[in-house]
Amino acid sequence: MFPPIPAWEGLHPLIIHFPIALLITAPVLVIAGILFSNQRQGLFIAAFALMLVGSIASFVAVSTGEAAGELAERNDAVNVVIEEHEELAELTRTLFALLTIVFGAILFGPKLLKKELAPGVLSIVMVAFLLFYSGGVLVLANTAHQGGRLVHEFGVRAMMQTAAASIPSGSVSHSNDQQAADDDND
Amino acid sequence: MKILLQSIRLPIALALAVLALHLVLPMTSFAQDQKAATTLDNLQAAFNGESNAHAKYLLFAAKADEEGFGKVASLFRAAARAEQIHAANHASVIKQLGATPTADVKTADVKSTKENLQAALAGESYERDTMYPEFLALARKENNKDALRTFNFAKSAEAEHAKLYQEAHNNLESWKGDKMDFYVCAICGNTVKSVGFEKCPVCFTSADKYEKVS
Repeated sequence: MFPPIPAWEGLHPLIIHFPIALLITAPVLVIAGILFSNQRQGLFIAAFALMLVGSIASFVAVSTGEAAGELAERNDAVNVVIEEHEELAELTRTLFALLTIVFGAILFGPKLLKKELAPGVLSIVMVAFLLFYSGGVLVLANTAHQGGRLVHEFGVRAMMQTAAASIPSGSVSHSNDQQAADDDND
Repeated sequence: MKILLQSIRLPIALALAVLALHLVLPMTSFAQDQKAATTLDNLQAAFNGESNAHAKYLLFAAKADEEGFGKVASLFRAAARAEQIHAANHASVIKQLGATPTADVKTADVKSTKENLQAALAGESYERDTMYPEFLALARKENNKDALRTFNFAKSAEAEHAKLYQEAHNNLESWKGDKMDFYVCAICGNTVKSVGFEKCPVCFTSADKYEKVS
């Protein structure tokens, strides 16, 4: 039987490993594509697919992370790490969204323009791309490290109950019922 | 007769077990109801506390203005705004639970600004270290995310208020003079002296949701 799917706030620990694994595996396929020219096209397309799914997962990871952060047990030390983790996560999301667009442009741009790059030129472009990509991986690793610290050093956990088990439904975070407080204060 | 008794022993035992289950299950349900009521009680207590704090800090602000501590007055007004936001957040969850938020707002005992700062610091420290941690523990146990969120927002802001009150109390003379600007998150009530971030560090709302209070 399939385990119950947690509510949005509880999805963070489930989703977070997808961008890490996919975005770190993608450059391995790019390197393989540079080395094995007869398999190049397929490997590059596979790398692009991993980057695309990994980048989409990073958007979901940031959103679920922010929702989980609202419910996290906080103190001054935790606040510092959460803030750093959140800022790095946003940077990671932006960087890999851009890198994926650039990689897609390198891969499909010449075809769209009906101008094929020479294999040697393509290899040089891909190596240059990998240099930029390694910067993204560095940021990703630091984001993951701060997330790991939150869980394993500070014991911050996401709430894992399913959406149906949430009591009650709805959210207070974007529904400031100011009038109610004003009325009661009067 | 003995054989008859032996043969009915098992059905009697089963009947007793079913009867016991019927007695125990409603008690379990009753206990769950009691837990939910406790979280609601905590929300009501928090709503009452925040509503009183809002009213009290406005009186403290007026006193600070009167004594020439403009910056302290600004801090009290910013904190009052934050408490108002917390009260509204608590009220929203209370309503979701089907109850009506109720507060008994009493007139605060206003003393000198230094004493008012001490009283405010004691109140915020209690909420940060005792009241909200207990409320959070129960809300977490009950998986009540909305209560957890609103308590979390309040606890984080109270911690900042305590720091600011401590700072003002320790350097009271330098807090004299004109009023100063504070910034309060309209969503969670986090209170800061300057907005040096893109997103609120407590609720991750865009920094442009911060309100300037002087």
